[in-house]
Formats: sequence, structure tokens, C-alpha cells
Amino acid sequence: MSEIIPPFHWHLFLTEPWSAWYLDTTLRVIAMAFCVSASCGLVGVYLILRRLALVGDAISHSVLPGIVLAALVAHTLTGPAIIIGAIVAGFVTTVLIESIDHHSRVKTDAAIGIVFSALFALGVVMVTMFAGDLHIDADCVLFGNLAEVATQPGMPPALIQAGSVLLATILLIGFFFKDLLVSAFDPTLARSLGIRARWIHYGLMAWLSVTVVSAFEAVGSIIVVAMLIIPGATALLLTDRLWKALVLTVIHAAASTVIGYHVGLWLDSNLPAAMVVAGLGLFVIAWLFSPSQGLLPRAIGRQRLRDRLEREKVEARETTEKAESR
Amino acid sequence: MKATNREGWKRRAVALCVVMASISFGLSGCGKKGDGAGETPHEGKPRIVATSTMLTDLVKALAGDDAEVAGLMAPGVDPHTYEMPARAIAQIRGSDAVFYNGFLLEGKMADVLEPMAAQGKAVVAVAEALPRDQVIQPENFEGHADPHVWGDVQLWKQTVPTVREALQHLMPEKADAIAARADAYSTELDALDAWIRERIALVPEANRLLVTSHDAFTYFGRAYGFEVIGVQGISTAADAGIADIVNTVDLVKSRGVKAIFVESSVSRATIERIAKDAGVVIGGELYSDSCGPAGQMETAAGETYDKGTYIGMMKHNVNAMVEALK
Repeated sequence: MSEIIPPFHWHLFLTEPWSAWYLDTTLRVIAMAFCVSASCGLVGVYLILRRLALVGDAISHSVLPGIVLAALVAHTLTGPAIIIGAIVAGFVTTVLIESIDHHSRVKTDAAIGIVFSALFALGVVMVTMFAGDLHIDADCVLFGNLAEVATQPGMPPALIQAGSVLLATILLIGFFFKDLLVSAFDPTLARSLGIRARWIHYGLMAWLSVTVVSAFEAVGSIIVVAMLIIPGATALLLTDRLWKALVLTVIHAAASTVIGYHVGLWLDSNLPAAMVVAGLGLFVIAWLFSPSQGLLPRAIGRQRLRDRLEREKVEARETTEKAESR
Repeated sequence: MKATNREGWKRRAVALCVVMASISFGLSGCGKKGDGAGETPHEGKPRIVATSTMLTDLVKALAGDDAEVAGLMAPGVDPHTYEMPARAIAQIRGSDAVFYNGFLLEGKMADVLEPMAAQGKAVVAVAEALPRDQVIQPENFEGHADPHVWGDVQLWKQTVPTVREALQHLMPEKADAIAARADAYSTELDALDAWIRERIALVPEANRLLVTSHDAFTYFGRAYGFEVIGVQGISTAADAGIADIVNTVDLVKSRGVKAIFVESSVSRATIERIAKDAGVVIGGELYSDSCGPAGQMETAAGETYDKGTYIGMMKHNVNAMVEALK
């Protein structure tokens, strides 16, 4: 067992990463991962509420051909070209899914399955074709290069981009809070209020593509799915209020980033994957112990109810017996 | 109701423009270079990082107790396919000087190290500083030089001045001590070179054919009169093809080779298969791209040495060859 799990040195994995010579690297990696995880998580809350989690999965894969094309044109994985490429690819995905759904007997889930895997495959083919001209390879597509991306000399472009996207996500949610809220919970009410549900939908899909792309270089296109869904899912287990869920999502992103960073250093594993595993741990804790929906509080509540019913039954029987004996 | 809503949209549309402007402002910062690599100055001894175990051993021998020398690669790790963990990135960024072999021995690491060198960090590729006329340019390595320079002790000795100068530049006040240690180490390497020639003389010239997993012994062969056959080519990144294996089996049979060798940092499977198909024995395990486990002593040919050092590694290899081929 000791060979599978490396020994845990308190100093090496908890103290040292925060010491002077290590601190800059630690802060950059954590900042990068937090920006990615928080902006994905915030968008993910709306995906979960609108039951679009699978579409999030789809778009995170199908932006790959857009990324490759933009990278071939602009020779970089950050900046406007990538953002535009991602929005176009995300839009194509959404439209393709809808048109297959509407104009054939193929159902929505199958349509999603066809579109995202095929576009992802196209992207993989393009990556291998143009490998010489690109700074991405198949490994990077799958897992990302978090530590290397975050520690590029100077101010890493990927970090600036992820930070800007997080800031913009927060601002967009702030401006369109009511529209997003109403169209997520009550589409009929949204229509009667004059909110254009289709615009909100396409806007959300476009922004989903942007967040996914800004995460791509750091965490790859598989891990990003977990970062879209797990923070929001955890937050929505803990509260029924949307704004509280958004705040909890950001807290979850921060906690899983910091915990996952240390776990990843200890186990010498891929850092984004360790962060997702840490996030899953937090989800399980929320699932078990959430005051309103947790398995344990609910089991305790049921037991209490059963006890009370039992007690009342006994009391009632005693009263009748007393009344009869009298 | 409708009018106020339209106004709300207008207001938010303006706000959205502000958001987008702020993002593009953030992205425009991408092109600019920041303030250097962001190292934190620290008290005490300089921190030095070296990549391969052979190089770490050399740098430690020259730096003595005057610096903290950390080796990135553990014994038995294959440098060609080495993936930097996050801790290695922090160690490199937090160090005062980095020594690496170069000539693509460390695979993708050069992509990380070269930008740092461009930013003014002390990053030294010891093999790349060797005189070009002594470096082997293989035909099938896309114009790159063969990085396995430590196989020839006299050539490896020529990296000592490079390391010495870099260390003296880093610690001018310790220049004399470093020079004294460099001279002592060079003398040890001269003795090693003479010892190897003496031992090799025990192998009949007809038997001086070395078959190993990959082309790690070309310099060794050139210096000590061995013909070398590596099944896998210069880098271990690509696996051996069927044709490579069949050709090697034919060659081993036709030349009547007594024994072939596995390497500690490369999978044994290919060599084991060739040994079986050609009906020869495996002559032992050679340390090709990595020293042995640190502090592991071995007694052979009437002396005891530490296989975790460069000198011990060379002695182990030569003893194994002499035993199997004489």
C-alpha cells in the first residue's frame, strides 16, 4: 500500500508550497485554477437549472475544431481569435443539435451524442494533422497543462484571459440576473415579461463556449465538464436561493482548488484532476450532510417523524384505554 | 410595463458594452511582457536545480556544501519521456541556477527552460556547450545531436568547466573552493577513464558489440571501441517497431553475440523478446539515462562503489559488459 500512496510529509506538501521561493508558483497555479473553476461553475449553475448539463458536456468537446482553426490562424491559444472561434463552434453545436432534433426522428440526447463526439473527433484529427504548427497535442487536449500555462514568464496570457472571463461572467450575471432567473425557473412568465428566452439561451451557450475555451489550455476538455457541473450541483444541494447558490459555487471552486492543489502535489498527479477529485469530495459531504437535502439529516428527520408517530399512537391508545376503563 | 422593460434592456446593453470593453482591455494586455520571471530573493545558500541524475551528481560534486543542489529526476526515471510535476516547476522557478543536459535529452522541458534563459535566468545546457566537432550528429534524429554525452568519460569531463564557471559566477566568493573541487572531480574522471580502458581490454575485440534498448551508448562505443546497436533509436518516446526487433534478432544471430542488455530506465519487454527469439542471454541491467538508486553499494572486480553516482554507474555498466562479453 505504501508504494501506491506516497508517504505524506506535512512539510513537503502543506508548508513548503507557501514558503518564499515556492509562493509565486503556488499563487499563479491556484489563481489560474480558481478563475477557470469559478467561471465554469457559475455558468454551470444555470446549465443545471435549465437541465442543460449534457449540453455543457457537448460544447466543452465540440469547441475543439474551433480552437484548432483559430490557433492555426492566430498562432496563439489566447486572445480574440480563440474567443471568436469558440463562439462560432459553440453556436454551430447548438444549431446542429437543434436541427437534428427538429428535422429528424433522432431524439435530443442522441442528437447531442452525435454532434459533440463527431466535432470532437474532427478536432482531434485536426490536432494530429497540424501538430507541427500548434502548441497543443493530444495530452493537452485531454488533461491541459495547468502548471506550465500558469507559470509562463511574465504575466501569462492564459491567466489574464481566465481572470477577465471570470470578471466578465460575474458582471454578466449581475446585469442579467433577473432575466436568467426567470427564464431558468419559469419560461412562461419570462415570455409574458417580454424576456426573449431564445436570446438568453443563445447568449448562455455563447458564454459557455467562451468559459470552456479559456479553461481549455489549463485543464483540457474532459476535466472542464466536471468544473462546469460539480460546483453548481454542490451549491444547489445546500440552498434554494439562486444568489446564495452562486456564492456557494465560488466558495466550492476556491476550496476544491486549494485542497486539490495540495493533494495533487502529494500524490504527484495531474493537478486539475486532483482538484476535481477534491471537488467531488466536497459534493459528497454536501450530499450526506446538507441541512435541507442531505441524506443523513433526511434520514434523521424521517426517524424522528416515525418516533413521533409511534409516540402519538401509543398516547392515543393509552387515552382510549383510560377512557374505556373509566 | 413593456416600455420599462425595453429601457432595461437598453441600459443593460450599454453595460454589456462596458463589460466587453473591459475584457478586450484585459486581453490586449496579453501581448505585453510582465516584470521578469517573478523570483523571490531569499537568504542563505543559493538554490540550484539539475535535471538528470548524472548531471545532479556532477553539480553536487562541484558545489559541495556551498549550495543546495536538488535533482529533478529520480533514479530510474527516463529523461526522454519525463513529465514535469508541479513541484519541479516550482523548484525551477524558485532556483538561482538550472543545469540541464540539452540536445533534447529532457524532451519537452526545453520549452519551459529556454524562455527562462531568455529572461536572464541562469539556465545552462551543459552538453550544448561542448565543442561541436566532438558531438555526434545522428542521421535519423531530425538534425539534432545525440544527447547521451556522459557515455564518454573524457567528453563528460569537458562539461566540468562549464558547470564550474556557472557556479563561480553565482558564488564569486566561493570561486577558489569551487575550482579546487572541479580539479579534484576531473582527476577522478581521468582515473575512471583509465580504469574503463583497462577493464574493456579484457573483452576480445570480436565480442565488442553492445545491444541495448535504445541508442544511449553511441558516445561510449566511440570512446571505448564498441559497436553499439540500440533497438529503439535515440529517444525512447517512440516504441520499437516490429522491423527494428526483427532486424536486431537477425543481427544478434548472425554476429554470434554472447549477451544483450536491458536498461534501468526503459521497459525490458523488447530486449527480453529479442533475447528469447535470438537465443542469447540478457547480460544484465545497464544504467543508461539514469544512475542507480542513491546509496546502493555494489562490490565487483575487487572494489565497492555507489551505483547512485556517475562514477559508480559507469563502473557497474563496464563490469556488467565485461562479465557478459569476455
